[in-house]
Amino acid sequence: MTIAVPAQIAERRSLKIDFTWPVLITFALLLCVLVILPVTWLVIYSLSSVDEVTKAREFTLAHFANLFTDPEFVNPLITTLVVAVSSSTACCVIAAPMGWLVARTDLPYTRAIRALVTASFVTPPFLGAIAWEILAAPNSGLLNQLYRFVTGAEQGEYLFNIYSLPGLIFVIACYTFPYIFVLIANALDRIPGDLEDASAILGGKTWTTAWKVTIPLALPALLAGVLIAFLQAMILFGSPAILALPAGFHTMTTKIWSLFQYPPKPELAAAASLPLLVVTVLLLRGQAMILGRKGYSIVGGKGADPRLIKLGWFVVPAMGFVAIVLMMPVFLPYFALFNAAFSPIATTLLTPLNFTLHNLHFTFFELSSTQVALKNTFILGSLAATLGTVLALVISYITAREAVTGHRFLGFLATAPIAIPGIVLGVGLFLSYTRPPFVLYGTLWILLIAYITIELPAAYQQLQSAFRAVHSELEDASRILGATRLRTLRDVTAPLLRTSVIATWCFIFVSVIRELSAAIMLFTSETKVVSVLIFDLKESGDLGAIAVLGLSMLLLTFTVVILMNRIPGFGGTRLRNT
Amino acid sequence: MASVELRGLTKRYGSLAVVDNVSMRIEHGTLVCLLGPSGCGKTTTLRLIAGFVEPSEGEIRVGDRVVSTPERSLPPERRNMSMIFQSYALWPHMTVTENIVYGLKLRKLDAATIKQKLGAILATARLEALAGRYPGELSGGQQQRVALARALIVEPETLLLDEPLSNLDANLREEMRFEVRRLHDEYRYTTVYVTHDQSEAMTTADVIAVMNHGKIEQAGSPEDIYDRPRSEFVARFIGMSNVLRGKTLDSTHVSLAGAPLKVTGEPLKTGGDTAVSIRQHQIQILSSKPADQANVVPATVVRQVFLGSSRDYMVEAADGTQLRVVTPASDNVAPGSSIWLHLPADRCRALAG
Repeated sequence: MTIAVPAQIAERRSLKIDFTWPVLITFALLLCVLVILPVTWLVIYSLSSVDEVTKAREFTLAHFANLFTDPEFVNPLITTLVVAVSSSTACCVIAAPMGWLVARTDLPYTRAIRALVTASFVTPPFLGAIAWEILAAPNSGLLNQLYRFVTGAEQGEYLFNIYSLPGLIFVIACYTFPYIFVLIANALDRIPGDLEDASAILGGKTWTTAWKVTIPLALPALLAGVLIAFLQAMILFGSPAILALPAGFHTMTTKIWSLFQYPPKPELAAAASLPLLVVTVLLLRGQAMILGRKGYSIVGGKGADPRLIKLGWFVVPAMGFVAIVLMMPVFLPYFALFNAAFSPIATTLLTPLNFTLHNLHFTFFELSSTQVALKNTFILGSLAATLGTVLALVISYITAREAVTGHRFLGFLATAPIAIPGIVLGVGLFLSYTRPPFVLYGTLWILLIAYITIELPAAYQQLQSAFRAVHSELEDASRILGATRLRTLRDVTAPLLRTSVIATWCFIFVSVIRELSAAIMLFTSETKVVSVLIFDLKESGDLGAIAVLGLSMLLLTFTVVILMNRIPGFGGTRLRNT
Repeated sequence: MASVELRGLTKRYGSLAVVDNVSMRIEHGTLVCLLGPSGCGKTTTLRLIAGFVEPSEGEIRVGDRVVSTPERSLPPERRNMSMIFQSYALWPHMTVTENIVYGLKLRKLDAATIKQKLGAILATARLEALAGRYPGELSGGQQQRVALARALIVEPETLLLDEPLSNLDANLREEMRFEVRRLHDEYRYTTVYVTHDQSEAMTTADVIAVMNHGKIEQAGSPEDIYDRPRSEFVARFIGMSNVLRGKTLDSTHVSLAGAPLKVTGEPLKTGGDTAVSIRQHQIQILSSKPADQANVVPATVVRQVFLGSSRDYMVEAADGTQLRVVTPASDNVAPGSSIWLHLPADRCRALAG
């Protein structure tokens, strides 16, 4: 078959320019700036100080020495550790049995229970913390008032004090337990029923099977969930700022924030941020390792539907347990917020007689900063959602189709921000953009950059799995018929990804609205957003306005989340807590 | 004129050569089948020709243009080829019409021409009634025809088919084989067809190239490949063959199943072993000892299965060699009976290697 034919006419390069490469390279560079720049400045600042005389930066380890010896920093470090360990333990104790009840037993109303857990998932933790203030502040708290009313105790006596370490741990646990619940429930949902049937046919009774087969199989998910809960508790800013500061103690996040209050100490803040960054990276790696162990947590093959365990009379205590758990993050706080929004004084019980729309009117028409904050939030939300989606779309295309050498690195960069806690990113961005050539501090741009960076990983992961679902032959078919890469992207890939793109857009929009910890580091009076406004109003004690803003925020969030769940083929919202 | 020529084409992933020094010239207007088991490199060869993959070594020429070298590879969109994919790759968000005319739109043809070409291809592929449907609303065979129409309407120089029938049920597959051949005869493109199904290759191809481990084992007309296999792999892969090994006696005889058999095929080298293949249905079973003892081996029936149109025998020669034989259903010999096998000399093919 081999016949040599002398044919030496070389193909001449066409003059048509293919824009594919420049576009790809631009996006890669953009990603580098977004992720690498703030982290680099963070490291530089933490390892240097400005010489008083020469004004030059000099290398020093003093900040880190300071961090690990000065009680001013060691105490918050210990507090953070205590808070993270105890709240993740508490979450685990509550969420694991609850996940099992919902996924594996004949407990009624499981859809409603899952929906309520989602509700606590999407509630911004700082809003929950404020709601719990209304409920359990020592004097004015509604629950303490009830306690005094029922027992006839003296004024000044109280049952709960939310301004305390246990109070903080409790509130944090309220809003991190969904992480464990979701992981556990999903893992249990996925365990094929025949694994349990196999145990049953060999003589294992219902409870033996549950104990020997089901629970061990779900263990990796539980472990991964605990790590995430630990992580969330560690990097949370809102709840400790609201509950720990009045109680007179700091966690690492509030300490970092206070280092930016006058006089600012950016070097120390950078040094204090790095341990959070390192621990986050380690925890996420640990989680990936646990969940990635094939053949153990990921159970393959076609399986029979799981058989649900019959609870019998046990359904009553089980239901009671679930109800009490859901009271804490959802029913009670929402009630407190409603109460505060529509009664003249937040801590007075709402009755038909004292019902008022004054707070509503005050918040939206009298409070001057509301309009600005709403406008800013809306602009930032839509811009971040649009730009973030485009960025995530291009990067996930590159990585899913392996279009460029080095696509793995791009994928890594796009997911890297997941390991940067919001407050740490805030510090890094502050350091990066208060100097030439990029002086962005005080503008909306810096907040936009922060939001895009924070939301990129989740958006990227969603779109990448969407890309994977689009068979690459669909794109090949377009190219062999004569379309360039970009043309193919426009004609074939984009329309097929439409629903995922819309879902990602909504997801970023909602997440931006509720973001606090990066915004708190980067806002100025002109660039306030709603979450920062709520935090500010808290300082002035205006709970009515907070409740109104908080409820509007929740209303918007739930509307978008419900809309997203209506879009076919899009399940599971992963919101990042602030 | 667009012949396709592969010269020393090699594709390595790491140290593994998926396509290993493949050279082949496909003349204009011929239909070549790349036939082989999964993992033999046939699909990679096709994707190399299409330009989705760049070669590690060697080159590909279309006509007198060099389209692929390790240094420079023309992107698929500029090769004037068409391809039909295993998954059909119909765009689910476009109607049948939109799918089909996509390539013409890219070529910026005017609306009147597009309309005229569309009408013609819809008629050829018998798709007129389905023009407004979405791919999700079509059956497998209809989707297949849309994929064909979409690939053919752009009048490519070269048409590539990647296991286009493997997702169809058996009846439809048989029908579509002839459809592919009919369309090829009508348009006379240079066609490269990848399949693992030998009967598909037999019905459609002018030339079959049997691939194994990234190399072309043998290329030739279907008759060539079937009647004159050159290697054990080809003999086993195409049709059902018994492959026996025995000592080479002289330039025409090999000692097989305890008897000296006259063979044809590859030249024999004395002093070693030779592999010889013979098709299962080319062996005759004789119930009495024949007068002419040339190429006859005595044997015993081990088992037999009635298959309706034929019988499938397992027989054992005196030296323990087992052979499978397919006979007409009327040749009924009970297990345990003594028989004589006639292995015609022109059917005993000596194999290379």
